[in-house]
Amino acid sequence: MKKILGILGLLIFVCVFTAIKSPSFLSAYNMENTLRWTSLFGVISIGVAFVIITGGIDLSIGSVIGLSGTTLAYTLSVKGWSPYLVIPMILICSMCIGLFHGLLITRLKLQPFVVTLCGLLLYRGISRYITNDQSQGFGSGFQGLRQLAVGKVAIPFVEGFMIPVPCFLLLGIAIVAGIFLNSTIYGRYLLALGRNEMAAKYSGIQTERMTLLAYVVCSTLAGLGGILFALDVNSVQPAGLGEFYELYAIAAAVLGGCSLRGGEGSILGVIIGAAVLRVLYNAINILRIPTHLEFAIIGSVILAGVIVDELVKRYAARRRAIRSASQE
Amino acid sequence: MKDFTLALKWALAGTVAIAGLTGCGPADSGSGSGSSEKIQLAYITNGIDPFWDTAAAGVRDAEKEFDVECEVVMPPDGSTDQKRLLEAILARGVDGIAISPTDADNQVAMINDACRVTNVITHDSDAPDSDRICFIGMENYKAGREAGKLVKEALPEGGEIMLFVGRLEQLNSQQRRQGIIDELLDRPAQSLDNLEQDPVGKPIEGDKYTILDTRTDNFAYERAKSNAEDAISAYPNLKGMVGLFAYNAPACLEAVKGAGKVGEIQIVSFDEQDNTLQGIIDGSIHGTVSQQPYEYGYHSVRILAGLARDDKSVLPESGFLEIPIVTVKKDNVESFWKELKELQGKGKAAQDSEETEEAE
Repeated sequence: MKKILGILGLLIFVCVFTAIKSPSFLSAYNMENTLRWTSLFGVISIGVAFVIITGGIDLSIGSVIGLSGTTLAYTLSVKGWSPYLVIPMILICSMCIGLFHGLLITRLKLQPFVVTLCGLLLYRGISRYITNDQSQGFGSGFQGLRQLAVGKVAIPFVEGFMIPVPCFLLLGIAIVAGIFLNSTIYGRYLLALGRNEMAAKYSGIQTERMTLLAYVVCSTLAGLGGILFALDVNSVQPAGLGEFYELYAIAAAVLGGCSLRGGEGSILGVIIGAAVLRVLYNAINILRIPTHLEFAIIGSVILAGVIVDELVKRYAARRRAIRSASQE
Repeated sequence: MKDFTLALKWALAGTVAIAGLTGCGPADSGSGSGSSEKIQLAYITNGIDPFWDTAAAGVRDAEKEFDVECEVVMPPDGSTDQKRLLEAILARGVDGIAISPTDADNQVAMINDACRVTNVITHDSDAPDSDRICFIGMENYKAGREAGKLVKEALPEGGEIMLFVGRLEQLNSQQRRQGIIDELLDRPAQSLDNLEQDPVGKPIEGDKYTILDTRTDNFAYERAKSNAEDAISAYPNLKGMVGLFAYNAPACLEAVKGAGKVGEIQIVSFDEQDNTLQGIIDGSIHGTVSQQPYEYGYHSVRILAGLARDDKSVLPESGFLEIPIVTVKKDNVESFWKELKELQGKGKAAQDSEETEEAE
């Protein structure tokens, strides 16, 4: 919990700062949008958190999103297949992608970076090949299905503000992931394996199976993310959908307390990390800062936040040391 | 385990070999056997978009008519990609290139390099300082003024307007933007040689209309949508949105629908994506300025084919072939869309048959 205090502080700071500067930040419409985008990015970030906890990395997320979104739009709009067939099919394919990564990494002992980097190129290429590089869209059809991404649910007794449907998806996934990670033996295994794979192995944990599981979870959630992103935007560019999302996801996970060395991570932290990124993007638009400054601002705000967090931690540690020294 | 590793190595070696073979395939056919007699052209776009699919349809039609082969190249990542792909095409050798520069000012050297070895023309967006032979396109400034007129029609009372665009580095987006601004502020028409541009990031205020800002999204659709959403949040009095690139207005429409402000916020578009045309039919988009990309593709191939056969008569006199703008509104949208579908269908069929031929 302590680990995520810093990032939570940064989130609150950015929100309060933006809200003071511009009241429209707190408008129902803006909150709904920010929640929706946070949920979409949160889903893929939870996926990559699993991989990062094992000490691995998945660079193929953006391309899996692209492949899944493109396949969805292509099979539904061009081929006219049923969504009841297409969505399970895409999720199963995403699972297989994760399984493929996991097997190459655990059985063939290839480096996760290499495997998933090649995945990044491969899946992007496949999406572009399937669709002949043509943009895909749903037009004005599939309104029911699109509610998965753009739908909103009214809260009883609250006027004006509605909760976007992806929030519920994120909540469901987060609860399952949180329980798995913190309250099951397998979650412990995963953390132990990330901390020290050899030690975990010698303690009788089937580390390979756990690593495999992490990659499967990651790719499946990326596949789900792809479906949601495609339904949300309504128009899919095979070469563009999901590009660089792996970096956003990894950033959200790391900001949220996952160590790239493995063995650490909290689901709540990851969601807060994703929220920080989305709120920053939103704040830049709301505060009417020119678009060309956006990367500079996002970079410096996050860096400043992380530096402050680290300094505060050190200060606290030093005080604790002094206090315990004086007690002796 | 060892067997598996070995098998994988073989598989890898095989893949590399196949990739190598297919990689040189087109180059071989370019200089060697049978089909090589045909003139080889390349048509380079500035990105990937349905807009370019329509242009490709024109390329395919002209290919048949003028008996040439033309590869349509769509760079996925803007200017760096354009350079990489152009270099690859030059290395392979072609008889002519039509390109839509992503960053005209800084690509002069790149275009001039290409001009040294083959015929180069620009389409859609010009690079006037380069040695390109001619330019095929519309006057983007004029098109911007047309879009400005659509805004005036949709919002006769005036109001706050936001502009959305993929990139502002491109000459065509700069000229469109300035055209809209000048029209809304009732300024006289500017000369294109010396276009004075209003700075980005500050509201531009006129008597009736205020252009609040221009937001860019780098061709990412979801950024286009979230930019539009954030603009609706940030400016409660927003009355109009203009999407300067084809996908911008549909993205604005998604945001406006989400906010429940259809009709309250007027949208004006460029180009002719399906969602834009559907929006015009539904009344949620006021109108669009279409540039007839089919004609870009068709005339690019026509002129390059002529130049490759040393026929200078194909060149437009002023070095600029202006393709007229079409304004699409509720009254003409259905006939426009029908014709567009026919063109795209025709082009697509030609492209598909060409691909099967290649496969054989």
